[in-house]
Amino acid sequence: MLEIKNMLVFYENAIAVNDLSFTVNEGDIIGIFGSNGAGKTTLMNTISGITLHVKQRMQREGGQHISIYGEQIFQGEDISNKMPHYRVKKGIVLSRERHPVFRDLTVEDNLILGGFLIKDKQIIKESLALIYEIFPALTRLKKRKAGFCSGGEQEMISIGMALAANPKLLLMDEPLLGLSPTAQDQVVQALSAIQKLGLTILLTEQYARPIMPYITYGYIIENGSLIMSGTREELMQNEEVLSAYFGVNK
Amino acid sequence: MFESILVYGLVASAILLLISLGFSITFGLSGIANLSYGGIYLSAGYLTWYLINVLQFPLFAAALTSVTLMAILGALIYRILIIRVRGNIMNEVVVTFALGLATMELFRFLGFGGYGFSLPSVASGGIRILGQAIGFQRLLIIGVAILVALLLWYFTRRTKTGLALLGMAQDEYTALSLGIDSDWSATYSCAIGAAITALAAVLIFPLGVIAIDEGYKVLIRMMAVTVLGGLESTKGLVLACIILGYFQVTVSNLASPRWTEAVFLGAILFVLAFRPSGLIGQSKELEERV
Repeated sequence: MLEIKNMLVFYENAIAVNDLSFTVNEGDIIGIFGSNGAGKTTLMNTISGITLHVKQRMQREGGQHISIYGEQIFQGEDISNKMPHYRVKKGIVLSRERHPVFRDLTVEDNLILGGFLIKDKQIIKESLALIYEIFPALTRLKKRKAGFCSGGEQEMISIGMALAANPKLLLMDEPLLGLSPTAQDQVVQALSAIQKLGLTILLTEQYARPIMPYITYGYIIENGSLIMSGTREELMQNEEVLSAYFGVNK
Repeated sequence: MFESILVYGLVASAILLLISLGFSITFGLSGIANLSYGGIYLSAGYLTWYLINVLQFPLFAAALTSVTLMAILGALIYRILIIRVRGNIMNEVVVTFALGLATMELFRFLGFGGYGFSLPSVASGGIRILGQAIGFQRLLIIGVAILVALLLWYFTRRTKTGLALLGMAQDEYTALSLGIDSDWSATYSCAIGAAITALAAVLIFPLGVIAIDEGYKVLIRMMAVTVLGGLESTKGLVLACIILGYFQVTVSNLASPRWTEAVFLGAILFVLAFRPSGLIGQSKELEERV
């Protein structure tokens, strides 16, 4: 479904993503694990096209500050030079790191905006109903401004917005970051509900344990480079992985 | 005296609101301080004059054509000029300011301006309110200013396109990740801003003659109002219009109409020195700090 070939991303001279290659197949839930600064967010932003947008914005100001190399192929089409809205239209939707929502809009308006590219009102209505089913907590917050919601609620809004866009490939950038254990539980439970919808998911996380039971394949990156990959079982058997990303010391 | 200030202050406030709504909506939705609107205002005036006097358009058709063409011009200005410097605020300001000045000076160079250029009122005559004679054109301006403000509120809060523009203003990257295009929304907001500015010109020019200096005056006014009102809040904008409108009328009544411009320039200096975030920009400031 998605194929990343030799992706390299530089900010000025600093390398953020270093020669990453991996494949996401339809129906997969792929986890990408790494510590702060490993390149997770850059990777997600590059796949969603935001890095390309920032690069072009900076070029207009004069100067080449960001370089992106490699091929990004989605459903057989090279999307490396496509802008974010094109990618959303094709089905790649990102729920961003630290759940940035539209603070001054109500929760419901946030979710409606998620379906911005969908013209059919009936479909949006159905996805909204589905989102409230996945996140029952949002039902009573419909009319509240998203800026007044808690971090966990904003994360649900952020994932909900992405779902409203009707994605084929859902990108989730650190969905558990900064959430309370209860909120983490709710998000993880939502993950299995989303999985049942038949979506393909690519997610990043620092702390792998809550996510691990759901993934089909995992990658571990450090300083932008791939250092290890494997199925859930393979990763769980590696001692280094266990201590670094699961908090288990032997 | 008091009644006169009360009634004409309201008219002055409505005029301020109408000329600053365009500038403020563009800034609020896309963060572009589009200073070319002084030029747009003047262009709309001369274009309407040309359509009525040379091409024999009826007033309403001429007004509609001008507003539409100015909306397209506003969009083109973004697509051709601003897009190249987007993101660099200083360059945006310089480019649009230069364009606005060039437009206004071009009209002067071509021999426009002075007497002989004026637009017809929609309705002549008037009524008395609180013993003050007030023309229908001025009443119309008050009505349209309120209507446009309400329509803008409806558009940005109740339609998907409007919500998308607001979303882009609140969090660009999140909007991008949901498929809203940044250049699309900026083009849209520049077109709306230019259209409202053109509408203001069509309604306000009949009160006097179309003079080059009006473009400059409008530019100063829209800046004064927007600076005083805080750059993103509609509530603040309306409040600023009322304060400056009444202040302007009071000053011109008590002292002399010559002091009117000083009111606006003074307001800009005062606000920038003492309350740079505008009248009710405080909460915003706090939010950003947290």
